Amino acid sequence: MSDGTIETVDLTYWYSGNDWASLDDVSIKIRKGVKTVILGANGAGKSTLFYHFNGVFKPSAGSVSFNGEVISYRRKALRALRSKVSVVLQNPDDQIFGQTVEEDVAYGPTNLGLDDDEIESRVSRALRLVGLDDLRDRNTLKLSYGQRKRLALAGALAMEPEVLIMDEPTAGLDPQMALELMELAEQLHHSGTTVVISTHDVDLAYAWADEIHVLRRGELIYSGRSEEFYSDPIRVYTTGVMQPSMFLINKSLCDMRGQPEAPYPRTETQLISKMASGPKGRFLIMPVSDRLDKYMVDAAVDEVGGDLAIGLYGAVTRSMLFDSMLPVNYVFDGFESCMSECLMGRDSLLLCDADCVDLILAKMERLKDFGTVVEFKVLDDPHSGSA
Amino acid sequence: MDFEYIIEARDLTYSYEKKDGAPMSLKGVSLGIKPGIRTVILGANGAGKSTLFYHFNGVFKPKSGEVLYRGIPLCYDKEILYQLREDIAVVVQNPDEQIFSSTVEEDVAFGPMNRNLPPDVVESRIRDSLFKVGMEEFRNRPTTQLSYGQKKRVAIAGALAMEPKVLILDEPTAGLDPQMSQEVMELVDQMCMTGTTVIISTHDVDLAYAWADEIHVLRLGHLVYSGKPEEFFEDRDSVALSGLSLPHTFSINHSLEAIRGLPDAPYPRTNSQLLAKLAPSDSDFGRIRIVPVSQDSQIDTDGDVVGVYGFEAKKLFRDRGISADINFNAIEGCCLSAMQGHDTTIYCDQELAATIRYRIGILTMFGHVPEVV
Amino acid sequence: MTGKGAKPREKASGTSEHIQMDALAYSSRMLHWPPLGKLLLVISVLVVNIMTDSVITAFAVMALGLILMAYSTNMRIPFILGVFIAEAILILIIACGIISINGDTSQPCIWSADFLWMDFYMTSDSFNEAWLVMIRAIAGITMMMAFATSTPIPHLAQALRQIRIPDEICEIVVLIYRYAFLLLERLDTMWSAASSRLGFSGFRRTMRTTASIAVGIFTSSMNLADKAQVSLECRGYRGYFPIWNRPKKAGVGWVAIAVVTFVLLYILGTHTEGVIDFAGIVFGV
Repeated sequence: MSDGTIETVDLTYWYSGNDWASLDDVSIKIRKGVKTVILGANGAGKSTLFYHFNGVFKPSAGSVSFNGEVISYRRKALRALRSKVSVVLQNPDDQIFGQTVEEDVAYGPTNLGLDDDEIESRVSRALRLVGLDDLRDRNTLKLSYGQRKRLALAGALAMEPEVLIMDEPTAGLDPQMALELMELAEQLHHSGTTVVISTHDVDLAYAWADEIHVLRRGELIYSGRSEEFYSDPIRVYTTGVMQPSMFLINKSLCDMRGQPEAPYPRTETQLISKMASGPKGRFLIMPVSDRLDKYMVDAAVDEVGGDLAIGLYGAVTRSMLFDSMLPVNYVFDGFESCMSECLMGRDSLLLCDADCVDLILAKMERLKDFGTVVEFKVLDDPHSGSA
Repeated sequence: MDFEYIIEARDLTYSYEKKDGAPMSLKGVSLGIKPGIRTVILGANGAGKSTLFYHFNGVFKPKSGEVLYRGIPLCYDKEILYQLREDIAVVVQNPDEQIFSSTVEEDVAFGPMNRNLPPDVVESRIRDSLFKVGMEEFRNRPTTQLSYGQKKRVAIAGALAMEPKVLILDEPTAGLDPQMSQEVMELVDQMCMTGTTVIISTHDVDLAYAWADEIHVLRLGHLVYSGKPEEFFEDRDSVALSGLSLPHTFSINHSLEAIRGLPDAPYPRTNSQLLAKLAPSDSDFGRIRIVPVSQDSQIDTDGDVVGVYGFEAKKLFRDRGISADINFNAIEGCCLSAMQGHDTTIYCDQELAATIRYRIGILTMFGHVPEVV
Repeated sequence: MTGKGAKPREKASGTSEHIQMDALAYSSRMLHWPPLGKLLLVISVLVVNIMTDSVITAFAVMALGLILMAYSTNMRIPFILGVFIAEAILILIIACGIISINGDTSQPCIWSADFLWMDFYMTSDSFNEAWLVMIRAIAGITMMMAFATSTPIPHLAQALRQIRIPDEICEIVVLIYRYAFLLLERLDTMWSAASSRLGFSGFRRTMRTTASIAVGIFTSSMNLADKAQVSLECRGYRGYFPIWNRPKKAGVGWVAIAVVTFVLLYILGTHTEGVIDFAGIVFGV
């Protein structure tokens, strides 16, 4: 088990003038490197809670600690804390303070008092990660909603936080943008950031979380694995949420078929693996270094000796798509889509960011729990040899 | 008056650049909205959804092409536009943008008062629409002290108070928590059942797929598809190009049937339909009982799982202090409950009973289903 | 929709002080008194408070204000009001100190001092005047507070309408009131977001951040105005805001109450002028 990174003890918070506590005796433990969701209906106290994590709000009673130390509300200590715990709000316009993209991403690091070289390298890294490096000098007012959302995320990432809190990350986003953002969250998690998502979207929460903390009107009513929480319909109902579709389908189908409910599928491919099996296709993974072109696809076609479905994974790979003119089937949600193609018997190729290979292998490993073993191969980028 | 489409757009073209540089445009859009059909306008952000529906109620005037309401081309005369906006009400995504008054009652009265209706009519409109959205007790509350969900309901009540023939909702569930979304969708559903034509504009593919009879898909100002939702989602490239993704029920059904070597059709759109399709034929289901109720009905729950559907039925439960097990989306909820083996009773308004029976009956298309009595 | 939509602990929009004042006004027991009546009463009392030179009248006004406020808030005068009043008193003490030490030098002195280039000279008249000013001002503030805590701004606008202030002005008041809340709420959020990104570390950064937030609020108010315009049209707006629930008219009764209070206080004032000599009490002069 990993250590707690943020921990609150009997945290109580009253907004001045209200005659009820917005947070009531909340003792919560956010564990390091665990995909965490804070779940609750509107007004349950989610944002009040996460503003305590980075010291913007000061508890009326109880305490908050970070990495084992109770946080101090002195100016210097707060500065250190906020550089380690970043928040991305639901509405990006609430947290964009710069005139240009670059300026806005630099806002946090500048306030941190870093030197220029460091700021520059952080800005480039953050922008590359969210796929906005082409728009460095763009005026922030001229960005689309999806771009502003990614900019807000880049601004938080530039602080290089240990804990990243995302409030309703997919709210208001198109389906593709939402998939893209969750993919990013997954990459961040994989690279060691503790990602905490605050949401009322149960489907999102179920798909993402290893651990959920459920708030109901300022009280913490559950901490632990999702399945346990959702299997009590009355508790789910009084919390103001619903059972996630995936949970419901699995439960009902297993009941009908007399199958055990566990293991609980959280994604479509997991569900399908559990419920049906047939001849499977081969799954090829190719890390992309600095170029995306048809030679890479040709290499894969040679490997399987025929037609295949092509998907992408990772913002860097995706940003190279336009110039490559490749006929890609799945630009978004590449892993899930390619994997379902495999489950339906078609060979597929997943082109991914170089640092995502482990992440993808881990996802495939998890599928084994649901009965799917897909033959896979990690191909070398044909360019890496020549270069 | 004879007309096939209640609203029709013919070769609609419009272009305008907003202050923030976001282009809003429509390029040769032609479509027809059939009366009483549940219609969704689907598209990514910036595809032109709102530009399109603001043409329907005459707030925007097309550069070329025309809009027809009940078969008659719109005329952009002030008085006629006022008339039109009484018939076609719009509920925008963010309720704060359309609540103008300081108390709930005052805001709901805004529309009817603009029509100069007599006071007793205004009064009954206020009462009716607040009743439908379940906000009667909030009548004298200041709007600034409401939560987001409550504001949303007030905004909807404001639209209902116009007694519109067409109700257009922009992203009705955005920002609402799951139960509140269900409540709003149920309300919308009942508006449909009682004869209002409802149009929803959204980018939520799951919502669109589960709810719509017909969808119109926009991509960068072009209309790329009009028709049944499943046909659109069959064309994966088009879905991807439109900035959308596949609905969950659609893709789960697709993969499972492909593995089993069966065709996708019939297309399940809800979880209960999907389950009906996948259920083994020897499954042990509970039965579903549909009980229409009126104000003096006896309610005898009989140890069943209880669902409640409809304004009147809910009021009855509320007044008698009875709590139902399934309060939201009860048609779907009761089907699921019966499929999990529980005997289930659904209490509903008299006038909705037939529609509910029909809706549950659709399940038989998909395979093994619970018995309805 | 179930009736249990009433979630008392659900967070209403925003939490700043203005919003609290508003919540207070809407929960006031005097909410349903005609706003114009309240306005008349308050104005007449304020006028008489200034017209008479008696400290007794000022005390009476203060007492009246406190009683009304206690009734209005149902004896739960909130903390925030206490802070307001305490703040006002503090400012007044300083101001009155200045009045009292600027006495007329032709009169006998009760206390004097030299400090740097300033020459302080307190007479018993100047001391009494300072006290009167202070008590009067506090009385005025309590009275106005009693009004503010029982009359939401929209009601005030309606009162204005009844005294023939043009509709346009009243509507603008109401709309500003409505949007002020939205913008305040946004201000709150942006403020928290900025502190999360360390925007307030150091003077220069604080200035920059404040400027950015101001720009943000401005842009969002422009957007809001745009969107509200469209929504207004959607809702059949015809160029004026209709009012459904007109506030009760202030009848003759209210005018009578205002006049009677005025006269009573005035008479009280003229008969008690100079009854209490503070200087005498404090300095024994």
